[in-house]
Amino acid sequence: MSDALTLDRLTVKFGAFVAVDDVTMSIADGELRVLLGANGAGKTTLMDMISGRVPCTQGHVRVFGRDITNWQEHKIAAAGVGRKFQIPSVFRNLTVKQNIEVARCHGQSVFKNLRFGMSPSDSDRVAEIVELIGLAAVQSLVAAHLSHGQTQWLELGILVAQDPKVVLLDEPTAGMTHDETYKTAEIIRRLRGNHTLLVIEHDMSFVREIAEIITVMHLGKVIAEGSVSDIETNDEVRAAYLGSAGIS
Amino acid sequence: MDLKRKLQLAAYALFILSLFAVPLFTDDFGLNRASKYLVYGMLGLSIALTWGYAGVLNLGQGLFFGLGAYMMAMSLKLMSPTSLAQGSDKPIPDFMLWNAEPDAPIELCCITPGSYLWIPFQDQWFGVAMGIVVPVVVAGLLGALVFKNRISGVFVSIITLALVLLVRLIVIDAQPVTNGFNGLTDLGFFTVFGYEFDPYSREMYYLVAVSLAFVLVAGRLLADTRASLILQAIRDDQQRARHLGFDVPLYQTFFFVVSAAIAGYAGMLFVLVSEFASPTFMDLSFSVTMVVWAAVGGRSSLLGACIGAILINVIESQVSETEALVDAWKAIIGLIFVLVVLFLPRGLGGLAHDFVDWLARRDREKAHGLAASSSSPEREVKQDV
Ligand SMILES: Nc1ncnc2c1ncn2[C@@H]1O[C@H](COP(=O)(O)OP(=O)(O)OP(=O)(O)O)[C@@H](O)[C@H]1O
Ligand SMILES: [Mg+2]
Repeated sequence: MSDALTLDRLTVKFGAFVAVDDVTMSIADGELRVLLGANGAGKTTLMDMISGRVPCTQGHVRVFGRDITNWQEHKIAAAGVGRKFQIPSVFRNLTVKQNIEVARCHGQSVFKNLRFGMSPSDSDRVAEIVELIGLAAVQSLVAAHLSHGQTQWLELGILVAQDPKVVLLDEPTAGMTHDETYKTAEIIRRLRGNHTLLVIEHDMSFVREIAEIITVMHLGKVIAEGSVSDIETNDEVRAAYLGSAGIS
Repeated sequence: MDLKRKLQLAAYALFILSLFAVPLFTDDFGLNRASKYLVYGMLGLSIALTWGYAGVLNLGQGLFFGLGAYMMAMSLKLMSPTSLAQGSDKPIPDFMLWNAEPDAPIELCCITPGSYLWIPFQDQWFGVAMGIVVPVVVAGLLGALVFKNRISGVFVSIITLALVLLVRLIVIDAQPVTNGFNGLTDLGFFTVFGYEFDPYSREMYYLVAVSLAFVLVAGRLLADTRASLILQAIRDDQQRARHLGFDVPLYQTFFFVVSAAIAGYAGMLFVLVSEFASPTFMDLSFSVTMVVWAAVGGRSSLLGACIGAILINVIESQVSETEALVDAWKAIIGLIFVLVVLFLPRGLGGLAHDFVDWLARRDREKAHGLAASSSSPEREVKQDV
């Protein structure tokens, strides 16, 4: 099994509305896949289905060949799937460092965590990650006081600490300045190689920089898949983007 | 060890030491009253554990307190001299005779419907064990049901509130087994290896004080575990925590159960000290009062909530000695609550914590000479001692 993540005819209906329609795709171990699509295409919903937040009406999700369809979220996470949310989501009343520490705690059960402090290797790792996401100077600040960009990085840091085999990133550069985006690309590059990534992204210059293969969704369906240049010259993709913001 | 940690330890040590200094200043009557306040302190702590750390506001903590109290009281009732003087060679609670059919046999098995439930309580230690086990089982079932179904926030509060009222009604209704409204009075003394704990004695006070010190230290240790950090993370964002692989309902239920066990234990101690158990323990107003104690003391501070409970009760007892203020007390306590919620949302514990932060910052600034620290107190960690 060389594919890290396989989606097999995945479908979800909200009432009569089909938000994700018969999506099949396969992401190789270690690959970074970009998921593209206009607003409302169903990208976030697709991630919700993979990570167990939204139950699939039909189809299967497999991680390294293991069927995890409709498992509870924490079991899917334990099976090696981590995600970053479109609206950055961190533990707002904990400090930056505590956020990373929580992500570094192992085991799902409360009883395994009835112990004090982190192991020395975990502590070192936490310090490393805080450094990596560039928040060392503010590590004892509560997360609620971080700027938008810092919050995004913290959430990426949480993912690095969690160290899942498959990483789902929902718009990691949304609302960022050019410099911030650059730094984010840096963090994502670090994740690359050891992890399999699925990234939703709108910023085409960013996509060009990081993408190998792009999958394009429109109205819940996959309409194209290929390299950056393939996608940019694909007629169906152009048509789909007409009337919306368009590929820029 | 940083300054904060040192001061926190000092605060705990000072509080526990002063617990044991109380007998130097008061007589047995005062000690009995003080014992009750310490039990209230334990309740305040149990509220803070779920409210502050899990974000679960339990408006029915009286349920667990009451269950613990009744379990203990049942055993002590059977040890009371009057229970041995009801014309049977085995102890029978007096109220059961009043509730019995005229021709019912005078035996626990069948004197009133349901009286057989009392049989194992002839062993005092069975009552003690049930005083913990019953609250734990009830909290475990309730927690599993509520948290597995992802019920959170105010809905948990409403469910706990409804449940304590329901159980209160059942207890009142089951007159032949519980003596209904009147509760269980005329109890025997708690006896350990032949030693009888007189409620108006130093020994009883020490039993309560040692218990509170133990619960405080254990609670503090629990709050320092990684599990507690994860619980706080869950409080902030359940969904995020789930996607990190934590079994959220298990964490919430675990801490809910620990809190219930503490409340049950407090209920048992209260029965030893006050010599009765009554459905008023499950009155809504009592459960709400506990929340006020915790709010004033600091809901995310175990020691703060404990001190808050004791402080309010000490003030109340002073006030009740002034005739004119007795009726006004309810209004005063209501006012204090509103003021605290408005101006001191983290209670006295939060205030102490800010003060420590200020000290720590001043220290740092001294150490760094003129280099001003950029962090203001509100921006520091919000978890209190
Ligand atoms: N729980 C739900 N119930 C009903 N409809 C939903 C639900 N969740 C999503 N949708 C709908 O499904 C469609 C896809 O939404 P989704 O959030 O997946 O889009 P997206 O591709 O992530 O868009 P964006 O780029 O704006 O983030 C939208 O039309 C949305 O309104
Ligand atoms: Mg989206």
